[in-house]
Amino acid sequence: MTTQIERFSFAERVSHWTSALCFLYAAFTGLALWSPRLFWLSGVFGGGETVRAWHPWAGLIFSVALGVMFKRWAGQMQLDQDDQVWLAKSHLYAQHIEAGIPESGRFNAGQKMMFWLQSASAFFLLLSGLVIWFPEVAPRSARLIAILLHPVCASVSMGGIIVHFYMSTLAVPGALSAMVHGTVSRGWARSHHGKWFREVDGR
Amino acid sequence: MAVTTVAKLVDTSLCIGCKACEVACQEWNDQEFTLGVFNNTYQTQPDLSPSFWNLIKFNEHVDDGVNSWLMAKYQCMHCADAGCIKACPAPGAIVQLPNGIVDFKQDNCIGCGYCITGCPFDVPRLSPTSKKVYKCSLCSDRVGAGMTPACIRTCPTNCLTFGSRTDLVQLASIRTAELKEDGFMDAGVYDGPGVGGTNVLYVLKHASEPEKYGLPKDPRIPWTVSLWKGPLKWVANAAFLGTALGAMLHYLKFGPQERHDDDTD
Ligand code: HEM
Ligand code: SF4
Ligand code: SF4
Repeated sequence: MTTQIERFSFAERVSHWTSALCFLYAAFTGLALWSPRLFWLSGVFGGGETVRAWHPWAGLIFSVALGVMFKRWAGQMQLDQDDQVWLAKSHLYAQHIEAGIPESGRFNAGQKMMFWLQSASAFFLLLSGLVIWFPEVAPRSARLIAILLHPVCASVSMGGIIVHFYMSTLAVPGALSAMVHGTVSRGWARSHHGKWFREVDGR
Repeated sequence: MAVTTVAKLVDTSLCIGCKACEVACQEWNDQEFTLGVFNNTYQTQPDLSPSFWNLIKFNEHVDDGVNSWLMAKYQCMHCADAGCIKACPAPGAIVQLPNGIVDFKQDNCIGCGYCITGCPFDVPRLSPTSKKVYKCSLCSDRVGAGMTPACIRTCPTNCLTFGSRTDLVQLASIRTAELKEDGFMDAGVYDGPGVGGTNVLYVLKHASEPEKYGLPKDPRIPWTVSLWKGPLKWVANAAFLGTALGAMLHYLKFGPQERHDDDTD
């Protein structure tokens, strides 16, 4: 291994892991209420009343951390021409056939899609979550929509997170370490994010 | 032996608005005294509350220039197909007894308030202090001991009757026929067929317009609640498992990407 280059700043890693932990907590405590058959999960997190009281706060901190990431990354997450080609050939990417797939910038098109999916569902989770949080205050019509919207968005984002989790731990070696240590090897940067590599490497 | 379904009949045409049932309910259920809210009507307070489960609504009604009140006793309807139970995530927080009474068990309640949204009659009330929901229990404790619910025991006009649901359905149709004889041609029974039948039955003089009594026209479990607790569960569960399975199969078939850690060139 040779010189490492910085991929994620300290602030980026803090916001990512804050949102990840809060998301996991919110997801598991949410699942506890998802079905009476999963209610036993609430026992793992301190009982039903605790779950009911803390889940919204975890969701709130999650939203703030995601908001920080959104502010920082939204500009870099715009899809360009190469990304369109990338998406059209994503089935080849999945099979590790890299020939003909355009090089990516700091984030590849798949990561960009994940970013927009998670941002959108987080926005609606927050909105609907606030409504379910205060049933005595929120109007009935809003509650009737929210109790449907919240689990729909939660399912979408949890499904997305399963993919995200798989990609970042098992499918793409080096990705997890980038988010933990903040750095990647030059070789990794060149092969996974060629355009970005040339920008930061200055050659 | 099958347990008889019990019910309460409210013949609104016989209610004189004396509120004895409200007091009896407060006494039997040992509710703390709270000051009512005066909103320029004869009602004790505008709405139900966590410590006030039975409210006589004084609905103002004008017919041919004559003012009258359409009295309506507002409390849990003890639905056969209960929206509160459908919505509740905590096992044992809401139970439906074999006699049809829907009872809240505060010990198991987590205070999420889902039942408030699931109830077509807007009955459960969340206490801001105990973070639990409360509503009329049809005096399940008294009924279990062979007694009549407190409100019914105390009603001075026979507006309220307690008994087996089958008997009361019959009584309700007799009362309706009598009202029709008296010229109230729109008289009828209100028993919530959309929620499988309620165990609180009303005789109304204006049965085609229950809204005048503050009762929903065609009470049903809201469709978003049914969708949420029904098909959505299965679609989402299948999607989760499908995604996880897909990830596993992908790894087994294609494995991880190459590392490219060496910096050659
Ligand atoms: C963004 C801020 C959020 C707020 C304010 C919020 C609020 C709530 C509230 C008040 C409930 C009702 C029960 C309870 O309090 O535990 C709930 C349920 C739930 N939440 Fe959240 N939440 C948020 C984020 C999330 C996140 C990030 C997830 C995970 C993906 C999530 C998943 C769920 C699930 C699955 C349920 C149960 C839905 C059901 O009963 O079917 N929530 N949420
Ligand atoms: S009226 Fe509401 S609280 Fe009472 S049983 Fe029906 S759904 Fe439940
Ligand atoms: S507030 Fe209590 S009774 Fe109502 S749905 Fe939640 S856990 Fe069930």
